Formats: sequence, structure tokens, C-alpha cells
Amino acid sequence: MVELEIGQEVEMEYGGSAKVLSVIGSGGQGTVYLVRFNGMKWALKWYDIDKMKKPKVFRKNLQTNINDGPPSNKFLWPKYLTKETADGTFGYIMDLKPDGFDSFVDILNTYKLEIDPLTGHAVKRPVKFASLNAMVTAVINIVNAFRQLHRSGKSYQDLNDGGFFINVNTGAVLVCDCDNIAPDGSNFGIGGKPGYMAPEVVRGVAQPNVQTDKYSLAVVLFKLLFRGDPMEGEKVVRDVCLTESSELKHYGQNAVFVYDPNDASNRPVRGIHDNVIKFWRIYPDYIKEAFIRSFTTGISEPTKRIIENEWQKLFIRLRSEIIMCGCGRTNFSSMFVQPNEKTFKCPKCGMEFASLGFSDRKYRMPLYLGCRFYECEISPDSDDFTKIAGELVENKLKPGMLGIKNCSERNWKAKMPDGAFYDIAPGKGFPIWQGLEIDFGEIKAQI
Amino acid sequence: MSNENITEPVVNDNLSADALDGFEPAATPDTAAASALDFDDDPLSATGVSRKSLVIFFLIDTSGSMKGKKMGELNTVMEELIPEIRRVGEADTEVKVAVLTFSTEVRWMYSTPIAIEDFEWARLRASGVTSMGAAFKELSARMSRNSYLNSPSLSFAPVIFLMTDGYPSDDYREGLKELQSNSWYKFGLKAALGIGEEANDDVLAEFTGSKDTVVHAYSGSQLAQMIKIIAVTSAQIGSKSMTLSDDTGHEIGEEDVFSAKQKLLGQQIQELVSNQVEDTDVPFDTGW
Repeated sequence: MVELEIGQEVEMEYGGSAKVLSVIGSGGQGTVYLVRFNGMKWALKWYDIDKMKKPKVFRKNLQTNINDGPPSNKFLWPKYLTKETADGTFGYIMDLKPDGFDSFVDILNTYKLEIDPLTGHAVKRPVKFASLNAMVTAVINIVNAFRQLHRSGKSYQDLNDGGFFINVNTGAVLVCDCDNIAPDGSNFGIGGKPGYMAPEVVRGVAQPNVQTDKYSLAVVLFKLLFRGDPMEGEKVVRDVCLTESSELKHYGQNAVFVYDPNDASNRPVRGIHDNVIKFWRIYPDYIKEAFIRSFTTGISEPTKRIIENEWQKLFIRLRSEIIMCGCGRTNFSSMFVQPNEKTFKCPKCGMEFASLGFSDRKYRMPLYLGCRFYECEISPDSDDFTKIAGELVENKLKPGMLGIKNCSERNWKAKMPDGAFYDIAPGKGFPIWQGLEIDFGEIKAQI
Repeated sequence: MSNENITEPVVNDNLSADALDGFEPAATPDTAAASALDFDDDPLSATGVSRKSLVIFFLIDTSGSMKGKKMGELNTVMEELIPEIRRVGEADTEVKVAVLTFSTEVRWMYSTPIAIEDFEWARLRASGVTSMGAAFKELSARMSRNSYLNSPSLSFAPVIFLMTDGYPSDDYREGLKELQSNSWYKFGLKAALGIGEEANDDVLAEFTGSKDTVVHAYSGSQLAQMIKIIAVTSAQIGSKSMTLSDDTGHEIGEEDVFSAKQKLLGQQIQELVSNQVEDTDVPFDTGW
């Protein structure tokens, strides 16, 4: 392998050269360097072509991806190729990871190690989502990124915990390591990471494709929400030492979901899998059922795996069911008491929350100060889960009076206690009351 | 959906001997602590995902012949090495280090494996003879769930790295025989470095099980390079799950993956070693 030296100039394919400033990290396929090109700093991934099966084909695929451009701004996409060296070695440059993003691995570990440059000692710094809303938003963003990718006819191939960066304050997501992305059906040699790979890939009977991506996506989502491995339970821990053959067995030939309703042989073990045990009690049934399907029928029948669009709907629902109680308790509505169909009650402080029912769905959205609904929730054609359409606020001129503010760009109609519907223009609001009805156009809602 | 189907603490209670695949069970876990999981329902408060653990064993010859420059170089390179391995361990594996030295006597640097984040190299001194067999026996005794490999969760097979500059002065075969019956050794990643003219690569290959994972250093600069190559490569491979043996064209069986990591280690070490520039190969006008 040809390693680059600090200060070395690497010629770019379309002229100019990138100067190597430092090493950022290294992975299975090569090394990533910090470089300066055209007066800006970039990341350069430089391949170890000896480890590649078909470097020429790989480079061509990379070129195609660069020409096609990223499916959305959630991808740290390859930007420019370097010129091939005499022995065929090459690399590509991409944008640097922006500040404020933490790696998925650090989020799972709940801390990151920062090395004190003077002493060389490692210091642990906590990494945690700032709010439940940010966490569920991150999940929606991950799902949406893969939906966009798959819609462009490509598959990611080696989806794993090293492939994402997440902003724990906002839930923004960046998908990196995009160089193995290939048209569905092609594979340029990457296998993936066990634990994330679909069982049929582990067993060697399939190559990575869109269907195997769906399995890996379910693993990523499970890890983020349940903070554990969906296939690591009693059966696996009993092996004590994770040898190559036990990995083949537990992630390939005989993978058993820890909460498989029909097979209790691999349940999580207290003291080791406390997170999974805890979160399995917290998440609502529709989320758990989606994972059960992914990791039971989805193991042997790739076509039954949950598609991204379905995940997206489930998590948009999950986000709308978050309640931030005045006592400080934040949880999903399923973790609140329901004295009647339309009311949620905090089991800790007793505070009660009314809810809004929408005409196009059965579940109800709890109302609390600061709760929001999004464009995709009030307009059936919209896929926009980031644009806030409405928010429950306190009237600035009448303290104590709560109402819904129209943050969208369209007029709504709201029913007032006199029984009449009034136009609510963008930027305006209306108080909430027991008989409230809102007409968003195609979708209607009522308390 | 019932929330009651949670497995009670069962890490080791109902394990049958054969289920352990040759690995002995650990000491009984503290059941009181395990059942005290208070139901904290905060969806944001989580502990880190249970990580797999990897112990890297360094077996270092500290006999009299190592005295002087060799020992000094070894100490320096080991000090430098720790931060490099730390980067490997940053991902989803918890890496620990244990150092066993052997001369006339066999000693552990610390009485238990230390997490790589906290590990500090204690400089070694050399004197005495080369009791390699005794070191193998001591290692075998400690490579047990009741001793150094007592992580409650899953472990990767350990990395065992032997460094020596001489021929064993005791019956190494007897010690090796004992070690070879240890399952952790069987599945572990083994590599060895012979230092100087005296070290016998055949003995080292008996220890690692293959010539590919034995390398030799004749000069000081080579010593540093080789230690780093072996330690970093074996830590990388050891701390990760197996990589897919791609394009087999058939369903992978146990025979396909058996000691796949050890084979990969051999390949990578050979590749990296052959890339190293020999001192004598350097033209007079370079390296300035």
C-alpha cells in the first residue's frame, strides 16, 4: 500500500493538487487524510488498492456516483477523484465533517474519548441526545436518508455504526463512507460488518443489496433506540468467547431476535443487556412489533422487511406522541396513564393533557406547551417532516392562555366556542378549548 | 405485548458444560446487584451498549540477554504503542492489556488486565534466564473466566504477542502443551517477534501455530517497526468481528471461518513486513 506523507501533493483528476496536512483516521479500505485543495480543507480518502478486488471497477463506480451527486444533503458524498498513480492507486476528496456532529459509535457508548494532547491521557466526555425530540428526529432522518438513497436506485452495502454522524442537539444526520454505494444489484467487494450484515450475507448466500440494506437499517435503528444488539441475548452470551464460528452461527445460520415471541432461547440477560430490557418496556407496541417483524420473518424473508417509508411513518407518529410534562418527565404517551380515550395523565405528578385527533389517523397527539406538528402531518401530499406547521404556545398578551399557532404558509379554519369557523392566517393562532375543531384543508383535527 | 418475559439473571446458572464450547464459566455473578435494576423510565438515560472485550497479552522476554539497548528500545516503543492501540479500542470493543514478563521468574506487570485508556507502561529491566515454558504455564492459568478473562459480557478471543531474543532455557514444550489445551489460546490470535540472531523462529512458530505470524527484527529500528506492526494489526483484527470471506459462491460453513482471523493476521503481517524498507536498501541520497 502506498501511504501518503505529510506535505505530499496529490494530483487531482481535473487538475490542481491536494496537499496532505495530517492523518484523520484509517479503515479497512484505506486511510483518510486532511488535505488542502483550492484553498479549502477537505478529507481525502486514499485507498489501499491491494485490498480491493477490482480497483478499476470500483473507481468507475465512484466516478458515476460523483457525477450523479448525492441523493440529498444528508450525505458526505465523494466530490472529486484524484489522478491514478502509476500503480493504479487513487482516492477521492469530500467535505469535512462539520462541527457539532458526533459519531454513532460515541452515541452508543454514551461518551467519547478525547486525548489530552499534552499528557496523552484519554478523557471521557459524555455524548447524549439533548432531548427525546432530537433523538426521534435523528431516527427519522436516518430512515429518510436511506429512503432517498434507495429511491435513487442505489444501495449503501455496508451500513454499520461507523457510517453516521448525528447532531445530538438537533437530530440532524450525516451519512458518511458513501464510497461503497452502488447501483442495486452490483457489489464491488464490500461485505459489511457482522451484527449489521443481513444473515444471508453473513452466510455467504447473498451479496449486499437494497434488501440487505433494509436489514442493516433495522439493526441501526434498534441499536439507537434500544441501545443493544438485537441478536445478542442469552444464547450468544453462553458462548463466552465470540469466535468466528459463533459469529457465523448467531448472526447468520441461527440468528434469533432477543424478543422473538415464538422463541425465548435468546432473551436479554440482566446485568449485560439492561438497556434492551428497559427500553423494551418503554417503547409503544407498534414500534416493538415493527422490530419483531424485521428480526423474525425478516430474517428469512427479505421481501417482508420493513420499507423505509413505513419506518418513517412509524417514527413520525412516535415523535408526535412525545409528552413533555411540566414536572420534567418526558416520555411517549404510551407511558402515561389514559383516564379516557382523549386524555393522558402523568403518573408522576398527575398533570392531565388533552389531545388532538386527526381525520386521517387513529392515534391522538397529546397537547402540551411547546408541542409541535409538522407539514407532513397536516397535508397528505407532503413528505416534509422538518417544517413545523403548528405549535402549542402561550399567548404573549394573555398570560396563561394556551393556543395553537399557525406556523404554516396556508390559511386554516378553526372552530371557536360560538360555533363558527374562523380563518386563521399564517402567523396567527387560536385558543384551545374542549370543542375545538381545526380544518387544515384535506385533513381535519379535533380535540 | 407482555413486558414480563424478561430473563432473570442467568448468565451462568443454567449453562451446561458443552454449551461453553470448551470455555469455563466465570465465577457466580453478584445476583443482588443484577436484580436491583430499578425501573427508571427515562427514554434518554441509557448506559453504553454492552461492548465486547478484548485482552491483549504481551509476553516479553526480560532475560539477561535483553539487557541494555534492546530493553531500552523495547520500553520506548511500548510506551509509544499504547496510545496507538487506544485508537483501535475507541470503537465498540473494550480493549485491555496484560503484560507478562519472563526471565528466571515469571511476573505480571499489573495483577489484572488494565483498560487501554488507563494503561501506563512500567519500564522493564532485564536479567536472568529465559523461562518461556513457565511463562506459557502462567499464561494458561490466567487465561480463564475465573481469572483474567472475567468480562461478564462477550469477549473476543485474546491477542497473544510473544517477544523474545533467545532460546528457552526451560522445557518450553511442556508449557506449550498445557497452553495448547486452553480454549482461549486455541481461538486466540497469536503472533511472535524474534529479536536478534539468537531467537529461534521455529520455536516461535510452534507457539503461534504458523510461520506467517512470526517475524524477526535484527536492528533497533526494525524492532520498533515490527512491534508496532504486530501489535496494531493484531489489535485491529482481534477487536473486530470476522470480516466476510467474500465471493465464496456457496454457503459459508464453519470450516470456512475456522481461524479466519489468525489467517488474516498472518497475511497482513507478512504484507506489512515485506513493505518495510531494509536499512541496507536505502540509497545514500534518501532519508535525509
